[in-house]
Amino acid sequence: MTSVDGGRWDGNERRSFAPDFLSELFRNPLDPGYADAAARRARGEGPSGATRRIISGITALALVALGFLLVVAYQQTMADEPARSRAHDQLVGQVQRRRTETVALQDRADRLRAEVATLRDRELGGAAVARLRELEAAAGLAPVRGRGAKITLADGPTPINPLTGERKTEAEVKDTDLQLASNALWSGGAEAIAINGQRLTATSTIRQAGEAILVDFRPVTSPYEVVAIGPDSLAADFRAGYAGRFFEELVNRYGMAYDAAEVNDVTLDAATDLNLRLARPSPSASPLPGSSRSGTPDSTPSEGGR
Amino acid sequence: MIAVLALIAGVVLGIVFHPTVPPGLQPYLPIAVVAALDAVFGGVRAKLDGIFDDKQFVVSFVSNVLVAGVIVYLGDQLGVGGQLSTGVVVVLGVRIFGNVAAIRRHLFRA
Repeated sequence: MTSVDGGRWDGNERRSFAPDFLSELFRNPLDPGYADAAARRARGEGPSGATRRIISGITALALVALGFLLVVAYQQTMADEPARSRAHDQLVGQVQRRRTETVALQDRADRLRAEVATLRDRELGGAAVARLRELEAAAGLAPVRGRGAKITLADGPTPINPLTGERKTEAEVKDTDLQLASNALWSGGAEAIAINGQRLTATSTIRQAGEAILVDFRPVTSPYEVVAIGPDSLAADFRAGYAGRFFEELVNRYGMAYDAAEVNDVTLDAATDLNLRLARPSPSASPLPGSSRSGTPDSTPSEGGR
Repeated sequence: MIAVLALIAGVVLGIVFHPTVPPGLQPYLPIAVVAALDAVFGGVRAKLDGIFDDKQFVVSFVSNVLVAGVIVYLGDQLGVGGQLSTGVVVVLGVRIFGNVAAIRRHLFRA
C-alpha cells in the first residue's frame, strides 16, 4: 500500500488507518490503488497488451453501465415526481370540492331554517314567537345585537432557535386561553359570545389540533377576537377579574398581545351547524300545514343541543 | 474518447429500454449513483494525474456501487438506514469534492 499526497506518491510508506483516517480522507480523496498500479507499471509488472485491451473493454462496459445508471435514476426521479404532485393535486381538488359542497349545503340549511322560522312565526304569532326568539338568542340559534366587550388576543413573537431550528411557541395563544376568556365572559354575565365570528353555544368546543385552534371544528387564527354581548360592566369586570390579570401576566412575560375593550353596537351571527341531539320530532305529530294546532308542546322541539 | 462514447451508449440504452426499477431496489438507486460518480471522478483525476488504470477503475466502480448498496441495506435492516445513507453520501461527497478540486487544479491551474 502506498500513500498519495497531491499527486506525488511514495512507494515505501504504508497507508495507515490510524486516528487520522478522516483528515486523510479529506486531504487525499484519490484511491491509492491508482498510485499502486502506476508503480507496478513503472516497474514493468503491468498486464500485457492483450489483457490490457480486454480490461479497456471492461472499462468501456463499466462506463456504459454508468450512463445507464444515470439515466435510470433520472427517469426514476422524474417518474416519481408527477405521481407525488398528482396525488397532491387530487387531494387539493377534493378539499376544494368538499368545501364548495359544504358552503352550498350550509346555504340550503340557512334557507330552510329561515323558511321554517317564517312558517312558525305565521302559525304561532304573538307572545310565543317573542319567547322563542329570546330562547333562540340565548341558545345561539339567532343573531343578536347589542353592547358588550371585545377581548383581543394575538400570538406574541415566536423566535426560531438558530441552533436547533425549533420554534418557541410559548407566546402563542393556546386553546386554554380562549377557553379561559370565554368562560370568564360567561361568568361575567355575557349572553352571547363569538370567537372570530364563530358563535358559541352550550355545546361548543374550543380545542387545539397541532398548531391550529378549532372552534366547533372550524379553524380560527390569530388575532383572536372574543366578542361578547352582555352587561355594560363586562369589559371592566373582565379586566379586573382573574382572566384579565392572567392575560396581562402573559403580555408582560411572553409578549402576547391582549386587549379588553367595550363595544357599543355589535352583531353576532347565529351559530352554524346546530343539530338536534337530544330532542326528536314525535312520531305521531305530523301537523298539516295551516292547521291550527299551534302551541302543542311536542310540535316545537326544544333545540337545546347539538 | 472511447469512454465518452461508452457513456453516451449507456445513456442511449437507458432511454431506449426505459427499464422500471423494482420497488425493492429504488432506495439504493441514488446511493448507487453517488458511489458511481465517486469512482468516475476518481478515474478522471487519475487520468489527469497520468496514473489512470483500467482495472483499478472498474474494480473501484463496481465495488463502490456494491459496498454503498450493502451498507444502506445493512442500515435498513438495523433500522439506521437513513443515517447510514447520510454517512455514505457525506464520505463519497467529500471524496468527490476533493477529486473535483484536483481536476480543477489540473484544468485551470488554479
